[in-house]
Amino acid sequence: MSLSTSLSIAVQSLNAASGSLQATNNNIANANTPGYTREVPILEELAPVNNGTFSAGSGVELKGYQSVRDELLQTQIQQETQAQNGANAQLASLQQIQPTFTTSTQDIGTQMSALFSSISSLSTNPSSSTSRQAVLTAGQNLATAFNTASNTLTSQQTGLNTQVSQDVGQINQLSKQIAALNPQIAELTGNGQDGGTLQDQQDQLVLKLSALTSVSVTKGNDGETLTTGNGTPLVVGSQSFSLQTTTGSDGMTHVLDQNGTDITKSLTSGDLGGTIQTRDTTIPGLLNQLDTLANQFGTAMNAAQAMGYDQNGNAGQNLFAIPTAVAGSAASIKMAITDPTLIAASSDGTAGSNGNLANLSAVQTTALPTGQTPGNAYASLVYQVGSLTSNANAESTATTASLAQLKDQLSSTSGVSIDEESANLITYQQAYEAAARVVTTIQSMFSVTMSMGTAAAE
Amino acid sequence: MRVANMLPDIQYQMQQSQQALATATERVSTGLRVNQLSDDPAASANMVRSLAYSANVDQYTSNVSSVLPQMQTADSAISSIVTSLNTAVTLGTEGANGTNSTQDRQETATQVQSILSEVIAQANSSFSGAYVFGGSESTAPPFVAASTTYTTSQGSTANPLATTTALTAGSATTISDATTGETMTYQAAAGDTIATLQAAIASAVSAGTLSAGTSATINANGQLSVGTNSDAAGIVVNSNDAVLGTMTAAAGTEVANAYAYVGNSGVNTVQVGDSMNVATNVPGNQLFTSGPNVIGSLSNLITALQTGSTTQIGAATEAVTSALNYLGQQRVPLDSTISQLNSEESYLGQEKVTLTTQQTALVGINLADAATNLSQAQLDNSAVLAAAAKVMPQTLLDYLK
Repeated sequence: MSLSTSLSIAVQSLNAASGSLQATNNNIANANTPGYTREVPILEELAPVNNGTFSAGSGVELKGYQSVRDELLQTQIQQETQAQNGANAQLASLQQIQPTFTTSTQDIGTQMSALFSSISSLSTNPSSSTSRQAVLTAGQNLATAFNTASNTLTSQQTGLNTQVSQDVGQINQLSKQIAALNPQIAELTGNGQDGGTLQDQQDQLVLKLSALTSVSVTKGNDGETLTTGNGTPLVVGSQSFSLQTTTGSDGMTHVLDQNGTDITKSLTSGDLGGTIQTRDTTIPGLLNQLDTLANQFGTAMNAAQAMGYDQNGNAGQNLFAIPTAVAGSAASIKMAITDPTLIAASSDGTAGSNGNLANLSAVQTTALPTGQTPGNAYASLVYQVGSLTSNANAESTATTASLAQLKDQLSSTSGVSIDEESANLITYQQAYEAAARVVTTIQSMFSVTMSMGTAAAE
Repeated sequence: MRVANMLPDIQYQMQQSQQALATATERVSTGLRVNQLSDDPAASANMVRSLAYSANVDQYTSNVSSVLPQMQTADSAISSIVTSLNTAVTLGTEGANGTNSTQDRQETATQVQSILSEVIAQANSSFSGAYVFGGSESTAPPFVAASTTYTTSQGSTANPLATTTALTAGSATTISDATTGETMTYQAAAGDTIATLQAAIASAVSAGTLSAGTSATINANGQLSVGTNSDAAGIVVNSNDAVLGTMTAAAGTEVANAYAYVGNSGVNTVQVGDSMNVATNVPGNQLFTSGPNVIGSLSNLITALQTGSTTQIGAATEAVTSALNYLGQQRVPLDSTISQLNSEESYLGQEKVTLTTQQTALVGINLADAATNLSQAQLDNSAVLAAAAKVMPQTLLDYLK
């Protein structure tokens, strides 16, 4: 083996050490970059050289860099992110709806009690105009409480509707960016190289997309294929497909695929899925119950009022003005009378009778057509709002915990450890120093060789 | 396991412990375990029911407070009438004494007359504008001096009412008879005329509601005149029919010491418990003009003192005594309702305490537990922060100098 062979091995070793140092350097630089996957240098022994009698090692070669990935964990994180954002979207809305149904001076339950209290109070002095006015005021307050609750629900719904368009806009933008990266990554991997930074970028974009909607990812030769909902393509190779929005007959924004097919119902997770779920299922369900309660309560009170006579001896008129259709009852319920003498307290037509107030009071304890008393119907509504919020909260907490766990695991595989890199730094530095020492040694050996037979050697 | 970066873990733990601390602080500061519906949906729903029930209990309590003074007004009026009747009995017994002169009896009669006026004043007692003995007809004094003739304000010689004059459908005309103590209520139907009203009066006479001889005729002035026999105790007529106009007693036809009951038999009930309703009034006709008839017996005593024999005065005094006994029986339900209300009031007070306890159990905290939880949460939080502070700045680089 010649000195020059040794020198070339030393040079390769210098290259390998400095190349490895570069990987370490890059890892340290990106230690806090979101989505960065640590890279390790791939070092290989070179094929041994055989001089006929023996074979000797011929050094090291830096083959490239490899990102340390875990595809399975990535996928799990994407799925968990979808679930978490879906739950968070529902939770955010419900937390805003919740206070409307929380016991306060303004909620429906309290106002309903106040109305029945005022009726009971009127029964102690049926001709008192103050007490009669109190019943009207309490009735008006209850109607307002119904209106407010209904408005809170519908304004939430409107807000969510705007969110749908925004989410779709972001999804389209992310799809484009992901699609643009596909050919670049495909070219690298086609050459047998690692996707590296580009792959990191793409993974990060897919994660952002997962926060918005349900995404399933399949890998092929031309990069990642992304679909949402029931298989609507978002990204295929270098091409991205935009989702469209349109206003449906219900006045709500619907999501369409590139062929114009309505896919709104198939979007179940991510912020968009959670938003649609709350907008189209949760809130309409609550609104329907609220409307039913307002309508049936108003009807029952009107029926009781019709059984008696007002202060002028005329048959009782409607107390509440409610629409015939159940839908929209809570939003539009109001007092039908403003004159306190029109409250039908009397059962015999005389001004001093309180006989019919018992019929009005009885509405409190009589089951409405839904099978529940007004108070119980409201209590079940309260329970539902509470339990929906509590479930969304539990899911949000659970997914956050499990996401933290998954990220921990991923970080354990792909994350940069500064301690480890510091140790690597020393390793590669020493490797470099050792290789450099080899070069110096060879140099002095060359010098010795060169000066053989000269005066100095003698 | 390879640990790359502890920071996300530490952040997550800090967040968790800060959330726990916030929850513990909120519970201690609000005194509530359930601050939002989602904290405990089932307890929140039960709270809605419990609050509705406690609002009812509050209202029952307030009803008891409103109804009690009203009933006490009625009770004290009856007490004062009982005292008056006792005085009348004493006076009657004196008057029945044969040694009294006619002059003495006339004076006694005058005294009994003022007793009757006093009784009527008590029978017309009101509480916050409502006449307590008027039944549900409580907006006007229930006992009104009776006259033998009432005439309409409508009708004149130039434009007389006639039997064919149509009445306003739905209008009501009432004739309260002091002799029978009853009231005829006539409600005009569509197509009814004055003739229909006359027929109704005639059938009320044959039914005994109105005393014999009561009739309605068109008088010389073209007005409708409702009259009764001159020896009867008189009537009081009211009408809200614009065709007839206001009914007024004809001048000089007022019957001395005769009063008609213009209230009705309506009894109002007020709810003071979930299954407890109490009658809050006793109609005046039941107390004072039916059975031995308090007012009638006093009238008769006056007449007997003015014109009758000692035997007649004695009999009239007897009648007042039995009216007194009758009144004593009639006030029993009233008195028992008052004592019922008093005991209901204390029951409702207890019920309120029970409900408050129940509500605290539903959504409130046990302060000792909550305070312990709070210090535990504080301790946890400090531990997490201390651990973070120790771990975070440490890297290998610190040792490589």
